[in-house]
Amino acid sequence: MGEFTSGFFMGDGATNGRVLVVDDEADIRKVVRMTLQKAGYDVLEAENGEKAIETINAGENRLLLDILICDIRMPKINGVEAIAYFRANYPRVPVIVLTGFPDADMATSMLRQGVVDYLVKPVEGEKLRESVARAMEQRELAHL
Amino acid sequence: MQPVTDSSVVSKVVPTRVAILGAGRGGTALLDLLHLIPSIEIVGISDRDPGAPGLVRAKNLRIPVTGRIEELVYNDGVNLIMDVTGDPDVERFVQLHKRPETEILSGSAARVLWELVRHEANLQAELFHAEKLAGIGSFAAGIAHDINNPLQLIMGLAENLAEETDLKAVHEQAREIIEAVRRTSAISRDLTQYARKTSARDETIVLLNNRLDEALKIARYAVSFHDITVHKAYKESAAARGNPDEVLHLLVNLITNAVQAMEQGGGTLTLATEQSAGAVTLQITDTGCGIGPAVLQQLFEPFFTTKAPGKGTGLGLYNVKTIVSKMRGKIDVESGVGKGTTFRIRFPSVTENET
Repeated sequence: MGEFTSGFFMGDGATNGRVLVVDDEADIRKVVRMTLQKAGYDVLEAENGEKAIETINAGENRLLLDILICDIRMPKINGVEAIAYFRANYPRVPVIVLTGFPDADMATSMLRQGVVDYLVKPVEGEKLRESVARAMEQRELAHL
Repeated sequence: MQPVTDSSVVSKVVPTRVAILGAGRGGTALLDLLHLIPSIEIVGISDRDPGAPGLVRAKNLRIPVTGRIEELVYNDGVNLIMDVTGDPDVERFVQLHKRPETEILSGSAARVLWELVRHEANLQAELFHAEKLAGIGSFAAGIAHDINNPLQLIMGLAENLAEETDLKAVHEQAREIIEAVRRTSAISRDLTQYARKTSARDETIVLLNNRLDEALKIARYAVSFHDITVHKAYKESAAARGNPDEVLHLLVNLITNAVQAMEQGGGTLTLATEQSAGAVTLQITDTGCGIGPAVLQQLFEPFFTTKAPGKGTGLGLYNVKTIVSKMRGKIDVESGVGKGTTFRIRFPSVTENET
């Protein structure tokens, strides 16, 4: 599956980037959306790994997705499986884990798989935006 | 399907027919233990004080009660008198009037025995508690999830409120924060209630449907219910006599096991209660991996576990069986490998007890 830089397709009025938030709790998706929209990001939502995979493979998302923010504990395809899928099929999309469970083993294993950040809820808006901004830089560097 | 019941003791022994004199702490402790032993029949218990705690307990256990000690001493169905009154007059009376073939256990011998029995009961309570606390260790991920998600919502909304100018949105989000705080505080309330040590003597009428719902809530901390459909088939006002905390403990164990059996690929958890003449039945059914015949035989044995080291105490189902026995119930299991498992518990019905 080919990948293109999102910048390639950006026209006037473009956002700072497109982020897919995967979490089974609608409340979490809502506040993450609120937090990131303030920083000019375009936010997509999915309620589990299965929906996330559907979303990224739908239409132009495949080409325009910049960052994945993913929970671990979810129904259907869980975070671990979804992240493995994304790392294998979309290696240039940086993945940020946003989880309710501070688990050092899980964090280590995730970072080894190339996840760029492991954030434990509750995370402050500023910290989340910084993490996303850093991931965006990596995303752009990867395309140089 | 492989049915297995707990009636492993097939007794051909002539029952020891016991009369208990004294229904204070000693008599109550003896009652609690002796009524569990199939080869012992308690003919009756007596105390001159009609308010003695053991008399109430005996009524609940459907054991005959009398205020006249003489009745039991003369009773020719009795072959052992246990005198825990500590009253020298009673002791003399029993020595003089008992039938020659009846044996007596009295004085310090009886006291030593009931101290042993009480010690045993305390150990059992400790065991219940230790196993429950060990189980709570596995709640960490569930608790973290259930606390940190609302905290994230609260954090996000509060950060937004700091800048929000639309008064309507401010009011709406403030309400959402209050609601999230309420949800979160329910978690510590549920768990502290569950974790507390139960007093073994608190017997009352236990509403089984209510306990099942409560157990479902607690079990969600221990195991993930993702991809599991819960089906409830409750008979209205199904009830048994027992300790509500112990029943909750028992149900959390069974529900947790059922969900763990469906870890691969999900399934359906069915919780059912039924009431028939003289009995109330409670069933917990999963459509999980099932239990092989070899494991089925050892299921209720203490320290038997199929879980990885550190994951199970091997005391869960043993304690389940002990609690069921205490409530004069029976538990049996039906399981098919690859099909699923049903735990069925029958308790004596409450209405019969009450009369």
